[in-house]
Amino acid sequence: MARPTTPTPEVRRAYVLGGNRIPFARAGGPYVRASNQDMLTAAIDGLVARYGLQGERIGEVAAGAVLKHSKDFNLTREAVLGSALSAETPAYDVQQACATGLETVVSLSNKIRLGQLESAIAGGVDSTSDAPIAVSNRLRRALLDLSRAKTVGQKLAAVSKIRPKDLAPVAPNTGEPRTHLSMGEHQALTTAQWEITQAAQDEIALASHQRLAAAYDSGFFDDLVTPFRGLTRDANLRADSSLEKLAKLKPAFGLGLDTPATMTAGNSTPLSDGASTVLLGSADWAAAHDLVPLASVVDAEAGAVDFVHGDDGLLMAPAFAVPRLLARNGLTLADVDLVEIHEAFAATVLTTLAAWESEEFGRTRLGLDGAFGTVDRARLNVHGSSLAAGHPFAATGGRIIATVSKELHRRKEATGAPVRALVSVCAAGGLGLTAILEAA
Amino acid sequence: MTPGGATTTVLLPEVPSLGGLYARGAGLSLARRMRPGPSALPDVEYVVRGVQSSSEHLTDYQHLLGESGSDELPAGFVHVLAFPVATALMVRSDFPLPLVGLVHLANRVTQLRPLRLGDVLDVRATATDLRPHRSGTQVDLVTEVSVDGSVAWRGVSTYLARGVFLAGTVTEPSETFVPPTPTGRWKLDGDVGRRYAAVSGDRNPIHLSALSAKALGFPRAIAHGMYTASRALADVGAGRGDAFEWAAEFVKPVLLPGTVTVRIARSSEGFAFAGWDARSGKPHLTGSVTPLR
Repeated sequence: MARPTTPTPEVRRAYVLGGNRIPFARAGGPYVRASNQDMLTAAIDGLVARYGLQGERIGEVAAGAVLKHSKDFNLTREAVLGSALSAETPAYDVQQACATGLETVVSLSNKIRLGQLESAIAGGVDSTSDAPIAVSNRLRRALLDLSRAKTVGQKLAAVSKIRPKDLAPVAPNTGEPRTHLSMGEHQALTTAQWEITQAAQDEIALASHQRLAAAYDSGFFDDLVTPFRGLTRDANLRADSSLEKLAKLKPAFGLGLDTPATMTAGNSTPLSDGASTVLLGSADWAAAHDLVPLASVVDAEAGAVDFVHGDDGLLMAPAFAVPRLLARNGLTLADVDLVEIHEAFAATVLTTLAAWESEEFGRTRLGLDGAFGTVDRARLNVHGSSLAAGHPFAATGGRIIATVSKELHRRKEATGAPVRALVSVCAAGGLGLTAILEAA
Repeated sequence: MTPGGATTTVLLPEVPSLGGLYARGAGLSLARRMRPGPSALPDVEYVVRGVQSSSEHLTDYQHLLGESGSDELPAGFVHVLAFPVATALMVRSDFPLPLVGLVHLANRVTQLRPLRLGDVLDVRATATDLRPHRSGTQVDLVTEVSVDGSVAWRGVSTYLARGVFLAGTVTEPSETFVPPTPTGRWKLDGDVGRRYAAVSGDRNPIHLSALSAKALGFPRAIAHGMYTASRALADVGAGRGDAFEWAAEFVKPVLLPGTVTVRIARSSEGFAFAGWDARSGKPHLTGSVTPLR
């Protein structure tokens, strides 16, 4: 008698059920002594408290950090063990540069969609205040040799290889390993290529601050943010910012180019500390826990560009990933009600929009008949983004997903019509990750 | 009503520094040892109002003891904030036992609700129950921490003055310790006493270096009892809940550097913990964390 093959699982919907983050701090601010594990645990415990998950065995928790100490090899599991979740909750770490947070949402949602998980917590954390400092490669090799040495002679030989200059510590930086240009210097090249002005960048920055401040004032973040270490709002938020103030700031990137330098500290994200989490689940799990699904995670598309050889700008991968993602789902930009483009720099948003509006880019780089399309600015980053909130690298994805999911649900409640959001996050290494969410 | 029903209240402007108190206590201790025997406890309570903690201090404490990153104050951290008020009472000239050389026998904390960073704490300390012990005299220092007039945390620290005898019957110690299956191990570096001293302010010389400990009769520096009890509480983790009783008995000092084999595991009432020397099988501390329901 033939044994039946294992049936292919049916795909079902995965929902965002809520989120929680701690306010984002500026580097050297109130979280200066807090470790990644401290902040991730605090964000998870805030989520646990908000949704009554004390002692609950969650299907899986995935999170990560971009700047990570080697002792934090199991960062997420350690945070779970230190949290009020059941110690029987499995966890794993993810690392995809600034796309880490969004990737945890995508991969956990897919597991829920396939029936492997009923519930999950996605998250991310980063501290630039408590960043790891490494020793030089020569010193590290000498110390490892020393630890393996058995005789006095071997020990002396190992130590004798150390030179004074080897003792200088190596701090992490945002430089690309292959080009040795910082992320800001890379974006400055792209900004110049697309002829983006400082005034246009400052407008994006101002809107970000004003919209985030308005969202806080209206209580939008009351059930998305838990105060930590005395901070109740994102420390970088400047509600009283103005175009005049922004225009006075001196350029910070692109100073060596033969085009005007336009990128300032005001239209670039500051180094930040913070953590975010997103609660995901199936419809059944949500119902069993009296939770209201906010949005479903529909689809996602990653992209990458060859910035090493100058084909495209370092942060331009989403410009390619989004057209593929929307085409696969039979959608155009006009079908998307909310567009979240992570503001690594104001110029990143503007170069992405410029590429989509360009006939030539559409034809030659995207293989379309003409321009990909235009994003209605009223739909873009409606509650502000990283320029105002700050950008603790791996925590940004969770911030965006929780914010946009709540807004999607709110709009559907108001109108009853389907509402869709597009999320786009650029990342180091020429990476980009994009996703579609739909109001539940 | 005060915890000990004291008739006199001494209101201190702030939590005193333990370093200054030890210096004062050292001077008084010699004189007290000369006295024929302890008589009664002073009928007094010490009070400090408006105590606040800083996030840096909390983070340093959490990192040293292995508590999770949270704005909730671990019960052991509250002890660090509050206990110097009790120490101020112990260095009064009419306190019958010498501060230097006092042995921390046991500690019992009742947390009724969690305290948080930013809470403004009122601390009240009394001494009660002076009683005989087989090798001297013991006393309870009771510390209460309240917010807006409502008690949230209550600690009872039992101290022994060796060789200071009081008339009366001695209660015999508990049954012999049988090492259970371990769940873990604490590898304590030689600087653990100095590191806990930096976080707690308790710079008793017996914890700081081999030299200063030898001067007081210990072969090497010893770990603070509260370091070990607080670490056990951190190891229990979130399972302790918001309200619990946390009790520890300090049986034998942990010499530094040293390794303590531990078991921190669920029991019928909550969690039980023990730390012992794997080679001798002798216990360093035993205790429990019992959620209040």
